[in-house]
Amino acid sequence: MNLRWHHLALWSALIVGMFLLPQLVGKGTLRTIIFANYLALFAISWDVLSGRTGYISFGHPFLIGIGAYTSAIMTKRFDVPVEYAIPVAVLVTMAGGLVVLLPALRIKGSYFALVTLAFMELMYQLVQVIRPDLTGGTRGMSGIPTLTRGAANGFYLSTSLTLAVALSMWLLMRTQLGTALSAIGMSEESVRGSGLSATRLKLFAFVASAFIAGLGGAFYVHYLGSIAPRALFDINFLFTIIVAALIGGAGTIVGPMMGAFFLTFLLEYLRPWLPGAERYLIYGGIALVLYMYQPKGIFELVQTAWKRIPRLR
Amino acid sequence: MSYSLTVSGLVKKFGGLVATDGVSFHVEPGESVGLIGPNGAGKTTIFSLIMGEHRPTSGSVKVNGREMTRLTTAQRIRHGVSRTYQVPRPFRDISIAENIRVGLMPDNIWRMIRQGPDCARERELALSVGFGETDLARRPAELSMGDLRKLEMARTMATEPKVMLLDEVFAGLTVAEIAMIGELVQRMRRDGMTFLIVSHDLKALEPLIDRAIAIDRGRIIAEGSYGEVIGNPAVRASYLGAE
Repeated sequence: MNLRWHHLALWSALIVGMFLLPQLVGKGTLRTIIFANYLALFAISWDVLSGRTGYISFGHPFLIGIGAYTSAIMTKRFDVPVEYAIPVAVLVTMAGGLVVLLPALRIKGSYFALVTLAFMELMYQLVQVIRPDLTGGTRGMSGIPTLTRGAANGFYLSTSLTLAVALSMWLLMRTQLGTALSAIGMSEESVRGSGLSATRLKLFAFVASAFIAGLGGAFYVHYLGSIAPRALFDINFLFTIIVAALIGGAGTIVGPMMGAFFLTFLLEYLRPWLPGAERYLIYGGIALVLYMYQPKGIFELVQTAWKRIPRLR
Repeated sequence: MSYSLTVSGLVKKFGGLVATDGVSFHVEPGESVGLIGPNGAGKTTIFSLIMGEHRPTSGSVKVNGREMTRLTTAQRIRHGVSRTYQVPRPFRDISIAENIRVGLMPDNIWRMIRQGPDCARERELALSVGFGETDLARRPAELSMGDLRKLEMARTMATEPKVMLLDEVFAGLTVAEIAMIGELVQRMRRDGMTFLIVSHDLKALEPLIDRAIAIDRGRIIAEGSYGEVIGNPAVRASYLGAE
């Protein structure tokens, strides 16, 4: 796994630093961090699939939506306790991940991206017309049981979840499996030509990605207490996930976390000056410049800076 | 232990085009056979059919008597047959050592997670094809065509094949690199490896093979010692064109 002392030190500092934050910042900032945490989860989920294997998913809200709706329907309509609903929602989302895998067995590149976009649109239409008594139709659902009360508790829960997922995935991707998944993104034919089952590796990536998306979606809906299909299956939401992963540094796990925090805080701090959609112009410009200057993202910038301090390594 | 390779009645049609038309041959364990023919003769298609990258329209492939026709490419490789490609296909964003690592990995996700990389074997394979210690961390973008072919050889050898298919292994190489790859093949022949080698560089091919098979338009037109095949009028006509 090739772990070094500075990996342990950095992760420990991140975990301790995050859990000290409620003593240092206000509730408003904590709420922003909660949203950044969930965006980080979704970006990591996208990264495990698309950042590694190169199968660019434009339909990630499809998976997040399965997790969110399954848990919301079970708790709101059938009074299933949240602690049972969330694991079931995650399992159902993993089954959804298998559905997304099916086209990936035959197609790749832009064709795969378009098919996944169609999955998202299909889900958006289905939740509005199929059993609106369960899904809430176009209006969505409110009054969904929440897991926490207050910004600090919401912060602790979302932070624990995000750090647990990020650390697990980071460790997993440092094994030979991580190398094999990255190799799929570079040359699937050569992976097969090396005697490895590319289908099995893709199956793992799709199901692991769906696991995180389902977990994130289910916890997110029980943080918000409501679900609105127009916001969930929105192209802006989709692009925020992808841009967070890309400007953070695709294929790195830590990069998408950085990207999610960068984007969430950028949009939040621009709000007082630019309350409307103009904010997205600034965010687009910054993402473009960053991407032109360093296509490997913020993570690479940080790594480069780290390498310039040789005595600490 | 050396393995044999048996191809029987291999037919592959791409729409109306018959790429291979009933090709049959047998390579004895430890034997090295050259597959020659003009461009478009069907040599690479035969390789793809042996490896399961294309499904044959009819016919069968056996490695050491074991039927391969219904197996996937990965399964065939695990049964001892591997190939290199005319255009090397490295994993561009990872180092030479990591490229070789992919060939060494077990085809089992749980074992991939549990087992650490075998760095000693990675190094041994890299050095055996002519890389130096300092090359291990280099990335494919920094390598010459010769180095890329060496890397592909190393990754192929990592899968521990008993039968190796080399496709245009000398293309784009310098004289020194051709000699180096030739020496590597000779060493593997001495160790009992079975080879099927495609090359347009007949001069470099000759010392590496026990006999040759010439094909044209998907059919075998001559088979025998290198001298016999090259001297065959049909082979000469296929290369130079009939008068």
